[in-house]
Amino acid sequence: MNSKITNRIAISVIIACAVAMAAILISMLGYILVQGVSSISWKFLTTSASPFLAGGGIKDQLWNSFYVLIITMLLTVPIGVFGGIYLAEYAKPGKLTSFIRTCVEVLASLPSIVVGMFGMLVFVNYFGFKYSVFSGALALTVFNLPVIVRVTEDGFRSLSRHQKEGGLALGLTHWHTIKTILLPAAFPSILTGIILSAGRVFGESAALLFTAGLSTPDLDFGNWNPAAPNSPLNLFRSAETLSVHIWAVNTGGIMPDVQTIANGSAAVLVICVLLFNLFARMIGKIINQKFSGK
Amino acid sequence: MIQMEKNIVSFTNNTVTKELPIQINVENVNIFYGDNHAVKDVNLPIHEKSITALIGPSGCGKSTFIRTINRMNDLIPSARCEGMIGYKDVNILNPKVDVVQLRKEIGMVFQQPNPFPKSISENIQLPLRFAGVRNKKMLKETTEDCLKQVGLWDEVKDRLDRSATSLSGGQQQRLCIARALALKPNVILLDEPTSALDPVSSAKIEELLLELKNSYTIIIVTHNMQQAARIADYTAFFYQGELIEFGKTKTLFTNPEKKSTSDYISGRFG
Repeated sequence: MNSKITNRIAISVIIACAVAMAAILISMLGYILVQGVSSISWKFLTTSASPFLAGGGIKDQLWNSFYVLIITMLLTVPIGVFGGIYLAEYAKPGKLTSFIRTCVEVLASLPSIVVGMFGMLVFVNYFGFKYSVFSGALALTVFNLPVIVRVTEDGFRSLSRHQKEGGLALGLTHWHTIKTILLPAAFPSILTGIILSAGRVFGESAALLFTAGLSTPDLDFGNWNPAAPNSPLNLFRSAETLSVHIWAVNTGGIMPDVQTIANGSAAVLVICVLLFNLFARMIGKIINQKFSGK
Repeated sequence: MIQMEKNIVSFTNNTVTKELPIQINVENVNIFYGDNHAVKDVNLPIHEKSITALIGPSGCGKSTFIRTINRMNDLIPSARCEGMIGYKDVNILNPKVDVVQLRKEIGMVFQQPNPFPKSISENIQLPLRFAGVRNKKMLKETTEDCLKQVGLWDEVKDRLDRSATSLSGGQQQRLCIARALALKPNVILLDEPTSALDPVSSAKIEELLLELKNSYTIIIVTHNMQQAARIADYTAFFYQGELIEFGKTKTLFTNPEKKSTSDYISGRFG
């Protein structure tokens, strides 16, 4: 009787927590979307921001957000995945390995504003990258890299030892076993980690305030030469991202439609992260099927 | 006790009458895990094209020993081996031995069926391609050939592109054997290959092993004494890291020399 009651209480508490979690999520998403969707229009997405007048859009900020995200991912995913493979497969247990692992953990939990200040000192000033897409991507790399290392290592460790033994027993080298058997098998969990961290990178603002800057040059979307100063592809121009824009508009915007712009931008940001999630999962499913057979 | 055992065990398949040539010669092998002396001073001949069964209670060192023959114990950092396992005039335990080449010649099948989470045909073709086979026709033929050898072809020929993990446990294990055969090894090591399977699947694997011994040297670790008695030509009894007794299966089961052997096979411990 007693244990039955305990069982019921435990189930109720767990359900209550799950409901609370879902409720918070839905109400927040709902609030942001209800407030913001009405300000989203094709014009809002395709006009540049206006510093004083009403009717400005978010074209450049949206582009910058994606561009910074892509550059960050290009930097972090290869390094992070290989670092994770090293920790999971090659590193011998010892002081050095546990030191590296501690570093990774500390790095992952650094407050992003600290990363931003560090980025300003090192990338912006010391290396002279100025406020730029590149400085921003490097700062984001600092806190995204450990996340990717971690998910890759965990992905490999959660695989059954039997898979690795199977590969080696068939006369495959360690690297070939990793490449053809373990990595594809760990792929779904690594992909999930990448998606989650991408969402975080996409919405990051504090680390970018002092590295990617608060302004964007007048971008010419007809000029795709990365060396041109006003090209969207230029790595060394300043780039205000969408989330930085939300912060900047809210704290110091003097245009009359501040509220509309902030709400609209927030909704776009959320929708982008959601879409990003869906697409990545779809692609992941297709790739996984290709790896593993039907 | 022994008398009773004879009624349970039949020796229908132990057809070896003359001594077969020795393929692997084990001399004074000691294996340690850190300070733990897991295998003690084992001397053992492995005869060509025959089945040698390693039996003994859990923790007696039989799995440790079989994993040393193709150097799978290299994966365990604390493991250390001494002595000689002679194969083709080289000592397998020599650190200079190319383990990748060695494992192509001495294949292994594990207790838990471990097909790769890939398609059925890819499971066989992946190691082949790594071994240098590029010709598509040859890959296909070998796939068919190996699956036929393990009696899996008719069951899976229409779904070679399906995931190997969709197969049943017994089918998965036969696929793992087929995969090992694809590399045309000389020796196949099996570490309790049927202990995770149902009786029908186990019987199929036993049948298969009896067929395979015409072309391959087979070493099998088994928990199941009846299995050893049914299929093995030679049997080695391990106890507490030592090789207590080795001989022709029939002799070992019906007329064991050591007391602990007769105790074990009559079910008094283990």
